[in-house]
Amino acid sequence: MSTTKDFIVEQLKKQIADFKPALEERTVGRVIEVGDGIAGISGLADAMMSEMLEFETAAGLVSGVALNLEEDRVGAIVLGDYAKIKEGDQVSCTRKILEVPVGQAVIGRVVNALGQPLDGQGGIAADKYYPVEKIAPGVITRQSVNQPVQTGIKAIDAIIPIGRGQRELIIGDRQIGKSAIAIDTIINQKGQNMKCVYVAIGQKESKVAGIVAKLRSAGALEYTTVVLAGASDPASLLYIAPYAGTAMAEYFLDKGEDVLIVYDDLSKHAAAYREISLLLRRPPGREAYPGDVFYLHSRLLERACKLNQDYGGGSITALPIIETQAGDMSAYIPTNVISITDGQIYLMPELFYQGSRPAVDAGLSVSRVGSAAQIKAMKKVAGKMKLEAAQYRELAAFAQFGSDLDKDTREKLERGKRLQEIFKQAQYSPVPVANQVLIFYALINGLADDVPVEKISDFEIGLYKYAAASGDVLKEIAEKKDLNDELERKMKELIGDYKSGLDYLIK
Amino acid sequence: MKITPKQFALCLLESVDGQPASQAKAVIKNFVELLGKQGRLGQEEKIIEEFGKLWNEKNGLVEAEITSVRGLDKELVKLLKNYIIKSSGAKEAALAEKIDTSLLGGVVIRYGDKVLDGSLKNSLLELKEKLVK
Repeated sequence: MSTTKDFIVEQLKKQIADFKPALEERTVGRVIEVGDGIAGISGLADAMMSEMLEFETAAGLVSGVALNLEEDRVGAIVLGDYAKIKEGDQVSCTRKILEVPVGQAVIGRVVNALGQPLDGQGGIAADKYYPVEKIAPGVITRQSVNQPVQTGIKAIDAIIPIGRGQRELIIGDRQIGKSAIAIDTIINQKGQNMKCVYVAIGQKESKVAGIVAKLRSAGALEYTTVVLAGASDPASLLYIAPYAGTAMAEYFLDKGEDVLIVYDDLSKHAAAYREISLLLRRPPGREAYPGDVFYLHSRLLERACKLNQDYGGGSITALPIIETQAGDMSAYIPTNVISITDGQIYLMPELFYQGSRPAVDAGLSVSRVGSAAQIKAMKKVAGKMKLEAAQYRELAAFAQFGSDLDKDTREKLERGKRLQEIFKQAQYSPVPVANQVLIFYALINGLADDVPVEKISDFEIGLYKYAAASGDVLKEIAEKKDLNDELERKMKELIGDYKSGLDYLIK
Repeated sequence: MKITPKQFALCLLESVDGQPASQAKAVIKNFVELLGKQGRLGQEEKIIEEFGKLWNEKNGLVEAEITSVRGLDKELVKLLKNYIIKSSGAKEAALAEKIDTSLLGGVVIRYGDKVLDGSLKNSLLELKEKLVK
């Protein structure tokens, strides 16, 4: 007991003796105006762009970021409670560009846009800090995507495949399952060697709490960081959150790992940036967004990339989400982000209300680079499905008027109905890729034509169970990632055996 | 375009610079008339403030403030003044002294945009931070 006490006292004495107060010059300024989350500061002649500033208020330190450097003043956004700041308060430079803690320590945590913990599990002992803003990797370091991200959602993995390093936009009206797709994808990354970052921008805290609870119960929080800038946080934090999340992802990118990052959602991010810009008196443009709103998102999404082996081979896959108003894809922000990303998943309200969920529209959704990353087995079975799914919707609308259809059209309609039915999938129930290959194989080879449409989901679930219990076909697909004649024969046999035990088939 | 107080001040400085006092008087009279015509007499205070800053800058004068606990003796003030002149590159420093007992000890020097905090209070805060780490 006494030894420890002596030790502590000795250490304390030593530390104090060694302590030399650093006498350094600081650059300071004074607040000349403050309001609505922004502050105007005089002085601070050598402030840097996006440098962290410290407001020395009567109620303690408040941090801020310099955003406007003008001839005789500096415009800054306040990260925190701007009500504490008074006119005339001293502001000092920190000589540091805005940065956030990164590393293993942030995995499994819920943090705010500055990397401070929000989950009540104590401080984050990060050994490294990354700048929030960073120039995206250049051409030399990159490589085209060649590895798939398995979302576990049949409709997406089959017809709009996503590759590691791709940027795939999820777009649709409110409340039709945009976040659900992203969350399902995160849950399905278990055991796929992926780290995930979920950035909630302007979301209701209750919704985020629900998501965190779901991720935890699904065991997905072990590899996921949640960056939360809630609806009640100031616009400055909303503005920084996606960049902070990307900085956390870049740490793993630099270590050669694969990361999936979800920005939920960028329309609120654009609105927050608009608020800041208008308050800083930057000139407004279309829909009152400032002139650089395109750059706002392009510089963010450009940081998603697939690096080549010389640079570690890591990747950041980005799933930005955009909320449209009444299906208007041609508004300013949606068109901007569509043109930046490598494709989009368009969610259609009509499909959603018809009960076909996830409501992915096969016609308007595209993936510009993802098919290069699909595994061969999936490519073989899913090749024609996008076309068939799109054709079916047209044909179905047309066929409502007449009952006299030729045999070919009738067959197409029947096949389409089953396809539509297979694409239906409940939330939080991702399907492994081998299972997907098996069910799609059954469908395109006409092996499901004698299953009644309303029994398709029973048929599907039964088939998975049967395949898992008998033989190692699923394992073989997952390992080989390709189909050969031998494997196809085995699959046919398996499906045949399974069907022989069913009683609801159409004779 | 709106003319800022700073621009007015710059004009005035350029036109009176190097003039003997009698001529400067005439220039100032003209200047005030101009302000009157433009309806800018209300901004007089701001213009004077800006003018003071520009004048100081041009003539290498720096305004400085020294805060201490009990006031400093002449020798020390002179040393500090020399230090300020040296580190700011100015020719002359206008010093103002201030007393603040909450510093506990040491001095805080402020000139232009810079602050040099050599107070005991600041050192103790730093020590605390280091020990907490």
